[in-house]
Amino acid sequence: MRNIWLIIKREYLERVRTTSFVVLTLLAPAIMTVVMILPAKLATMGEKTQHIVVVTSTPQFGEMVREQLSSADAEDDDTPASGAHAAKQKAVKQYVIDVDPNPTEAERAVLRDKVDSKAIDGYLWLSDDAIAAGKVTWASRNMAGFTDRSRLSQELSRTIAYARLSKSGVTADQAGLLLQPIKVQAVRIEHGQETKDSSGKKFMEVVVMVMLIYVAVLLYGISVMRSVLEEKNSRVLEVLLSSATSTELMIGKIFGVGAVGLTQIIVWVVMAGVFAMPALAMQPDLSQLIVPPGVLVAFAVFFLLGYLLFSTLYAAIGAITTTEQEGQQLQFVVVIPLVLSVFMLSTVMQAPDSPTVVWLSMVPFLAPVVMYARIVIQTPPLWQIALSVFLLIATIAGLLLLCSRIYRVGILIYGKRPNLPEILKWLKYAKS
Amino acid sequence: MAEQNPAVVDTVELANVRKCYDDFVAVDDLSFRIKPATIYGLLGPNGAGKTSTLRMMIGITVPDSGRVLILGEPLSRAHTNRFGYLPEERGLYKKMKVLPHLVLLAQLKGLTSAEASKRAHAWCERFELTAWMDKKVEELSKGMQQKVQFIGAILHDPELIVMDEPFSGLDPASALALKDALLELAKNGKTILLSTHRMDQAERLCQSICLINHGRAVLEGDLDRIKATSGHCSVQIKYDGDASFLRESKLVQSSNDYGNYVEVRLAPGADTQELLRLACSKARVDRFEVMQPSLEEIFIEAVSKPHA
Repeated sequence: MRNIWLIIKREYLERVRTTSFVVLTLLAPAIMTVVMILPAKLATMGEKTQHIVVVTSTPQFGEMVREQLSSADAEDDDTPASGAHAAKQKAVKQYVIDVDPNPTEAERAVLRDKVDSKAIDGYLWLSDDAIAAGKVTWASRNMAGFTDRSRLSQELSRTIAYARLSKSGVTADQAGLLLQPIKVQAVRIEHGQETKDSSGKKFMEVVVMVMLIYVAVLLYGISVMRSVLEEKNSRVLEVLLSSATSTELMIGKIFGVGAVGLTQIIVWVVMAGVFAMPALAMQPDLSQLIVPPGVLVAFAVFFLLGYLLFSTLYAAIGAITTTEQEGQQLQFVVVIPLVLSVFMLSTVMQAPDSPTVVWLSMVPFLAPVVMYARIVIQTPPLWQIALSVFLLIATIAGLLLLCSRIYRVGILIYGKRPNLPEILKWLKYAKS
Repeated sequence: MAEQNPAVVDTVELANVRKCYDDFVAVDDLSFRIKPATIYGLLGPNGAGKTSTLRMMIGITVPDSGRVLILGEPLSRAHTNRFGYLPEERGLYKKMKVLPHLVLLAQLKGLTSAEASKRAHAWCERFELTAWMDKKVEELSKGMQQKVQFIGAILHDPELIVMDEPFSGLDPASALALKDALLELAKNGKTILLSTHRMDQAERLCQSICLINHGRAVLEGDLDRIKATSGHCSVQIKYDGDASFLRESKLVQSSNDYGNYVEVRLAPGADTQELLRLACSKARVDRFEVMQPSLEEIFIEAVSKPHA
């Protein structure tokens, strides 16, 4: 135990003290922020003040369309998870709308030229014929996106209906009542209670997990492998083996490097939290962001176990290879289960309690993602969670034992990657 | 002499130890005993099985058959902290600083951090490393790294010190310091196993040796006794003039001209005085010295001897 602790301490302190660790820890969030914010900024920059001409023979109707389009941005939120973000983005988008009461072919040609010379961004052709036919034209330099177009047609339908209703003597209040849009709100029943959690939010909870496991495994699993290789190649291993067992070394290494990764992730999460505070305070409905404690616990357990499992796999790769290049060739052993579990996510989310998914969530290499996703969507029976956790821990322990043996015999053989029969023979040697 | 005293338990006893890797027999039926507070030499050419033997002695690997006894008990993990091991392939963490590295190695052997640091300071001073204790290992020269490695091996004051080629790569001054340290440790009751292919070193330091080749013991026992019973008598002659006496086959079996002097191996039964008289009659003799066989000669003879 003392030896394991000493090795963990060494691995941890030697890594955390390096300049590269400090720089990466502090700089990565800055880079991430730039990468995430810049494209959104760039995308909205071009959309500022669109200059649009509405062509209609009745100027009164044109005014109504203008009003509707200008005010439409404030109301609509279908996606709660991204609601704040989308609203912010749309608020930036502004329209300058002119009404042109002259729907003639000659005017149309003039407008076409204006669009072409970028004097205006587009025109909306609302001639009486077109309205009667229920098919109006939106002309611009670039085709409007799908969401833009459907929103446009929604707004226009409402405006036209409103105009028709008022023409047939319905009062404005009555028309407003008739045309009030109806929204469908999804409600999930859990433990006999309604929860407002949307599937979007559930999905986010799972995706965050997958992303974190991915990043942690790829960043730090590799470090475990590298550190095993370094020890073998610098021959420190033989000195250490005269004091500690290979199992102690292996455990110390995986936990030591693992703790480094956790430190970095925790620093990042805290930094993200501090920076996101102002934005969170502006969020009208904080309950949207609250994750149930059970999910948080599941997250911690499955993240840590998954991280351990994949780190151990990397350690095993380090034990049987002699150079980093060789090790990287074997990385697929780690990446495939991760990618597979991501592919299965949609199936898992649709049918979290189908027999296939239940059994998949027992497979240790898939469990960190699949079982966690099941817990988020619909709490599975406790025995299933327990079994999955048990299998994970057993696999980690087995792998640890296995690769500490390979590790020990591996010191006798440098320079050549062993094939499977040789590895099996090594395990026999190491038996004692 | 103490060697016959049954009350003294051998520090190490190897009995019929055998180790194979695949079809390759690294160590075959090897047996020897190391008495406490002595320097024991494990000699042999490269690839003879020295390192394999050492690894089994300190429990890094396990023999396929045979026994390893430490202080009379079968080798177990409980003995680990009583060994100090300097492997042939030196290995230190390159990015670690010298002092923390030494402390880590000693802590792994059970010392407290404070005690380890205190002893590290003393040893670093002795080996003129004090100025380097705050430097990273990779900044040190190879010879200095080796001294660090040596200190790391003995900091916990082990009873058995196992050194695999400890002198390789050291400058003469450092080698001298290391030799003095080893002799002092032996005088203080530590048992030292020295594995080397440098026969001259073993000859100067060791009381007993085991000479192995192809994994088997060729010669084993007290060095003086081995010298007395093995090999031929030889003579070193420095002369000026006619060299025909070197071809006198009745007296000379072979001769080897080293430039400054000629080493002559006498024919069986030949008298050194007769050779001296003959040499004087032919040439001017500046030096004539009867030599005990060197370990090197004994070794070469033993190794080249075809054995069934």
